[in-house]
Amino acid sequence: MARTIPVSARISQAPARATSLRLMVAAGLVALFVSIPLVYLFVRAAGADPADWQRLLQARLWKLLGNTLTLALLVTSGTTLLGVSLAWFTERTDLPGRKLLRWMLAMPLAIPTYLGAIVHLALMRPRGGLIPQGVEALLGVSLPLPSPLGLAGSVFVLTFFMYPYVYLLSGAAFRSQHAVFEEAARTLGRTPWQTFWQVTLPMLRPGVLAGALLVALDVLAEYGTVALLRYETFSSAIFVQLAGRYDRSAASILSGVLVGLAMLLLWAELRLQGEARSTQMESAWRPAPPIALGVWKGPALLFVLGVTAISLLVPLGVLSAWSVQALLDLPTLSQVVRTGSQGMVHFVWNSLWTSLLAALAAMTLALPVARFSVRYPGRLSHLLARVCQVGYALPGVVIALSLVLLINRFLPFLYATPVPILMAYVLRHMPQAVRAAESALGRLSASLEEAARTLGRTSLLALIQVTLPLVLPGLLAGGALVFLTSLKELPATLLLRPAGFDTLAVRVWVWASEGFYVQAAPAALILVLASALPLSFLLRREPLFR
Amino acid sequence: MWFRYALLALISMVFVACSAITTTPTASEAPKGASPSPTPSGSATASAPINGELVVYSGRSEALIKPVLDAFQAQHPEVKILLRAGSNSELANALIEEQANPQADVFITTELFTIQALAQEGVLQSYLPPGADQWPAEFIGPDQMWVGLTRRARVILYNTDQVSPEEAPTSIFELTDPKWKGQIAATGSTNGSMQAQIAVMRQLIGEEATKEWLQGLIANQTTFFGGHTDVRKAVGAGEFKLGLVNHYYYHLQKDEGSPVGVVYPDQGENQIGLITNATAAAIVKGARNLAAAQALVDFLVSSEGQRLFAERNYEYPIRAGVPLREGVLPLEQVRLAEVNVSAAAAEFDAVFQLIEEVGLP
Repeated sequence: MARTIPVSARISQAPARATSLRLMVAAGLVALFVSIPLVYLFVRAAGADPADWQRLLQARLWKLLGNTLTLALLVTSGTTLLGVSLAWFTERTDLPGRKLLRWMLAMPLAIPTYLGAIVHLALMRPRGGLIPQGVEALLGVSLPLPSPLGLAGSVFVLTFFMYPYVYLLSGAAFRSQHAVFEEAARTLGRTPWQTFWQVTLPMLRPGVLAGALLVALDVLAEYGTVALLRYETFSSAIFVQLAGRYDRSAASILSGVLVGLAMLLLWAELRLQGEARSTQMESAWRPAPPIALGVWKGPALLFVLGVTAISLLVPLGVLSAWSVQALLDLPTLSQVVRTGSQGMVHFVWNSLWTSLLAALAAMTLALPVARFSVRYPGRLSHLLARVCQVGYALPGVVIALSLVLLINRFLPFLYATPVPILMAYVLRHMPQAVRAAESALGRLSASLEEAARTLGRTSLLALIQVTLPLVLPGLLAGGALVFLTSLKELPATLLLRPAGFDTLAVRVWVWASEGFYVQAAPAALILVLASALPLSFLLRREPLFR
Repeated sequence: MWFRYALLALISMVFVACSAITTTPTASEAPKGASPSPTPSGSATASAPINGELVVYSGRSEALIKPVLDAFQAQHPEVKILLRAGSNSELANALIEEQANPQADVFITTELFTIQALAQEGVLQSYLPPGADQWPAEFIGPDQMWVGLTRRARVILYNTDQVSPEEAPTSIFELTDPKWKGQIAATGSTNGSMQAQIAVMRQLIGEEATKEWLQGLIANQTTFFGGHTDVRKAVGAGEFKLGLVNHYYYHLQKDEGSPVGVVYPDQGENQIGLITNATAAAIVKGARNLAAAQALVDFLVSSEGQRLFAERNYEYPIRAGVPLREGVLPLEQVRLAEVNVSAAAAEFDAVFQLIEEVGLP
């Protein structure tokens, strides 16, 4: 027996090394593809005219840096506060209707933030907004309401449409906590309050921080909301530079700085990833008993419902009302149904096929990277997997900029086709696919594939016949996430679309930014509904929603 | 070099699937400007039959160019128009970017600086549509690189419920008066008409005074919107007392039944006069569908095209003999500011610099 083991190990090692080489090359190529725009951008930024750097350093850079960081900090804190407290209410208390509330609290993920901003503006505009007008009609005087624009408005909108990231991750963390820890703390004489601060919260930290960092990265990448609410950040400044100035170097410099910033956050997030993953349920798991809210039940319910109202019910209500208005008004209806060189059907179709294809491509590309890093853990495989996370740190405007430059220079035949849009979606949303694939493969025992190999299957055949069917649900979840985020993507699509190529997001944006809100509403509603489908598929997979 | 090939290899690998789809109707890879087929187009204005895809980049917003393109389309059903509407500068950037690989056939702007800058960059090709001999010389670009389509005036829109005609400011410089603080709406730095206004003011009153005026607007808490439709609706609804817009937005808002009035400003002895813009069209150098591009430009300057601009959008047609829409103040009755677009590119760089310096939103 003792002798046969090394022999069999030798037998299985030889083909394994061969697979690893092929896998390594595939994973390496994917990582290369993913990192090219980034590298090119840094090269352009570093190679920019020192005079341009000088000009930007003097006039803009510090202000933009301040603006962007302030926004990111405030939104991250806001979402953390909101997300954790909401998760606590739905996971650890006896709040009535938790099952429904969970869904309602997660659903804002289907609403692109710029839609939130459009509705927010329509409601809150000084004097002309529905709320100021309502207040005036009710009280007879016009109250000085806070301006819906600028920093305050942006923080408000982004917080209420981005908190679900933190909510979902901290909800899962609350859910997976052992009751024993808190019970132990209580038996050791801690009050419930002390237990919460000293035991419950620290155990949540990795999950919450991971969510918060994702929010921060999203804030850095946000274009629609800040542009609409006229708060200048790196992303919106780059967009204006791209649309306004005749030279690209300023945009390259700003992008370089922005991506540098995002990389720092991403690095922190990746470090936390490992920690967050350790908070997994074990078989002896037993939920902590829900805390009775008592007299606080009413206020707590009001709070949770208030959040849902702001982030889900009111936006949907306004969009629906506008849609009805659009459908009842014949001239508007004809604009909605047929516009540009194409009708509504066309841009719904464009949205769907680009997002779907991006999801497929991202899933396919993620597979070798994830397989390499899961099956052959090592420095190189780890590095390649990390490189594939870089999309999180590449805002849409930045991807668009580097793709425009690259494609014009090296692949002019792809220019003005939808291919660059697809590439942008894949590059930007690849990390989600890689993560999903990694976690799906990680849960699968390697011995299954080895068994298939011993039974005479080639490694490719083993992959197709054994591994793929088993990890497919996990992969599909990654794909659904890519689909969802591609559907909502705005800035890269705006900058890269060829003439006459509109998607739902672009249509909504073009109409709304020209002031035709009613016209934009039906398309916006379709966009939300189309996003809600993959989102509910994703949520159903979460233990939280089972 | 190596990564160029790697990229090529990868992209061709990954996106083989897409290429099948990119050749569906939305693709611009599809053969354009195919050799004229013998099918007659049935059009009275075009001599050669035209068909294929026609890519139009328009700085005029979609709502303001669509009706005219539709009318052209009706005459040439064989042509498939692909419209890309955006800001003038955004499209100009794209055109410069695409110089080696031109995508657009026709470019339409809302002011002359951008199109003249493009002409100087060598992005356009000369074309003189038939009947352009009737055009005033100032609306034909140097070397016939572009042709003017319509004129617009920069006016002050006011809400008549809140402001009486006597109170309404008669000069754009009154907009910096603190008495209008927080009561003014305008378009921001990404709007072509606003950019052109700044360029003209730089010429008329100099860099410093223009900067002061812009800073005055900002200090007066002017709200800058992305587009004029927001401005006119806000003034119409009484959200703001005053708006700085193009003249036709007054008429469009009035059509919606709003209580609005208009001032053609700066008519006094020592004042700068009314600032006007012209919209213009040009054919892009390397246009793939030249026949259709020329037919479109011909149509835009034809009596019918000009009538559409005047009727649908209250603009000032350039072709003589095309009547103004009723209610539009003839420009002959107004003193106009002088505009010189010859050094457009340099001019526009300075304008962007100025916008950045004062931090115009």
